[in-house]
Amino acid sequence: MKALIAALLFLSAPIATELEGADEARAQALMREIRCVACENEPISQSTSEIAGNMRERVRVMISEGASDEEIRDWFEGRYGEFVLFRPKARGPGGWLLWGAPFLLLVGGAALGYGVMRGRSASAEEIQAIAPEDLSDGI
Amino acid sequence: MIELGHFAAILALCLSALQGMQGLRGRRGPAGMLALMAFGAMVVSFATLIWAFVRSDFSLALVANNSHTLKPFLYKVAGTWGNHEGSMALWCLVTLGFGAAGALLLKTPERPSFDARALGVQGLVAAGSLAYLLFASSPFLRLVDPPLQGASLNPLLQDPALALHPPMLYLGYVGYSFVFALAAAGLIENSVDRVWAKTVRSWAMAAFVPLSAGITLGAIWAYYELGWGGWWFWDPVENASLMPWLIGAALMHSLIVTEKRGGFAVWSVLLAVLAFCFSILGAFLVRSGILTSVHAFAVDPTRGLVLLIGLLIYGGLALGLFAVRAPLLKGGPPWAALSREGALMGNNLVLIVATATVLLGTLFPLIAEGFGRQMSVGEPYFRLTFVPIMCVALVALPVVQAWSWGRVDLSAIWKWAAAFAGICLVFAALGVGLMDIPLFAALGLALGAWLICGSLWELKRRAVTWPRLSRLPLRVWGMTLAHIGLGVFVIGAVVETSQRYETTLDMALGDSTRVAGWTVTLEDMRTVEGPNWFSDRATLTARRGGQSVRMQPEKRYYPAARMPTTETAIHKSPSGDLYLALGDRRVVDGQVRWTFRAYFNPLIDLVFGGVALMALGGLISVLPRRLALARKRATETEALPAGEPAE
Repeated sequence: MKALIAALLFLSAPIATELEGADEARAQALMREIRCVACENEPISQSTSEIAGNMRERVRVMISEGASDEEIRDWFEGRYGEFVLFRPKARGPGGWLLWGAPFLLLVGGAALGYGVMRGRSASAEEIQAIAPEDLSDGI
Repeated sequence: MIELGHFAAILALCLSALQGMQGLRGRRGPAGMLALMAFGAMVVSFATLIWAFVRSDFSLALVANNSHTLKPFLYKVAGTWGNHEGSMALWCLVTLGFGAAGALLLKTPERPSFDARALGVQGLVAAGSLAYLLFASSPFLRLVDPPLQGASLNPLLQDPALALHPPMLYLGYVGYSFVFALAAAGLIENSVDRVWAKTVRSWAMAAFVPLSAGITLGAIWAYYELGWGGWWFWDPVENASLMPWLIGAALMHSLIVTEKRGGFAVWSVLLAVLAFCFSILGAFLVRSGILTSVHAFAVDPTRGLVLLIGLLIYGGLALGLFAVRAPLLKGGPPWAALSREGALMGNNLVLIVATATVLLGTLFPLIAEGFGRQMSVGEPYFRLTFVPIMCVALVALPVVQAWSWGRVDLSAIWKWAAAFAGICLVFAALGVGLMDIPLFAALGLALGAWLICGSLWELKRRAVTWPRLSRLPLRVWGMTLAHIGLGVFVIGAVVETSQRYETTLDMALGDSTRVAGWTVTLEDMRTVEGPNWFSDRATLTARRGGQSVRMQPEKRYYPAARMPTTETAIHKSPSGDLYLALGDRRVVDGQVRWTFRAYFNPLIDLVFGGVALMALGGLISVLPRRLALARKRATETEALPAGEPAE
């Protein structure tokens, strides 16, 4: 079972501590990433359907047998298809696009923004620095 | 009676179309009158719908399909918008309400034709919504053979937060329709400038605040009603409301540059158009049912298609107008990359990329299906893309919010870097070393603290001395509150997601189990009956130290809808919520046992409270100008006799 409820750093005393195996924490993390095959859009950690119960059990069994997270994901993918993984694999052009696009957009957008700015900016001496509060009453 | 409502809605449609024509021709007076009359007609129309629900008039198909005589009064009323047709009627009511508000409040000095055109575009948007209501999803259809009893409202929706959630969300979505109208009017009149930005800022906030409230109410509802202990699931419907919110946040920041410096005009207009497009896209995603979701309760594919066509027409027209007029817009004075302008551009970049990420993740399963690949995109994807991208902006925020317009003097940047490194080190050492929480969570807490301290520091910097704090403009207070709210939210979200305790209990009467420091005992189990449901109600006692609380989670069954719901029991304490949901009854070796899902959600209120602070900050920053001026005058008269040097 999940190990601990830590305190906020601002409080002097911990809220509560209950140490149990890190394996259960791993199992629960995995259960939140595997999609129930009988429900609308729920991970097996939430679903009340019977098959989700069996899938949860399968995760626990595999962990007790020493399987790694990756092996467990692969097992479920092999059995139910890519559909059950809420964490899609970066595989094939689609997978790479999905995982790469946000970061490419960020870098590309920054470059574009910098380019636009350079295109219209004057030399550094011409630019006046104005403290933000000086314009606080604006128009 | 309902025919009167039907007639009133048709009248509202005609009036809105007229308003559109008069407004676009530049006639402020008639357009305003027509907007008020259209709103009046729609109020009558919507009132007849509510009346039909209250009276349980099952000759109306909508009531027969969605109501029940035994339903409590509040949910009879709220049931009016708890379904597709009724919610579209509410959408129209709110659209016309914004039109009426615009007719009364929109008085840009010396620009009556701008106001008229804005009202005109708003009229066209309203006419489009009303046409969709009347021709594609009419709530006014009668049944030839009315049933004796109705099919009832989905019991999950019979909840106070959910009665308020759709109106709030619609106020936000539809609020952006008025922002859209202002953007279109600005393009038509070629008057996208500082005055324009000032006007749009108030209206954009009038949409942003209720949208925040609506999203939060939805999250709170999901938290206590769905019984999973969580508050955000990266579900398509949630994402659909998050996207306009993110665009709205980007717009708020871009408009600052347009108002103060006249820059970013093109970009602000584009965002104003996009905010509305994403609102309709959100409605389309939710209504069409093309995405599987746990939240969508009123789904119809063909109507989704009509919505999509509407989006293409309105969005396309606006973007076309934008393409023609954008090159004519003027930029502000020049600025260097490292400047307040540059910082706000960075803010916009991050928010737009974050929106694009949410859009990509939400639509990707659909796209992949087109290529014959069945995929799911869920929480892990957003955690690993959206969250780090947003963190870039959050780390920079306290540093750049003090930057000056034009260009910035970077001599102090090392102090900032040292302060950030210091906060991270302290939190990492305390968190990982002393309290044994994961490193990423400790750093997340450091980020929250960084945001809060940074905001307070900036507040102090602007005030110069403490006594002057009370004389700061309201906008500075608004900004500070919003950014502190962001920090509070980050802390709540980090603690809640990383330290949530989750377990399944299996108990017979009299059994005790330990849950996160609490000892929970199952005392009693009985069947109770409500107005339109009966339920299994468990009574448990939770003890911690000398404290003892009674908790009663239920599993309700609504016979009319043939559906069970979970009524969770939540005990709030300063450190977090103890959360119990009743599961199944089982018989093991002749003994009756019950399963419960038990959670301890630490500091979850900070998540909701943080968003509330953000909304409050927004609200304060656009408090009526008159109030701000009155304050200013008061402080000036107070300041002068004291003989303080003017700045």
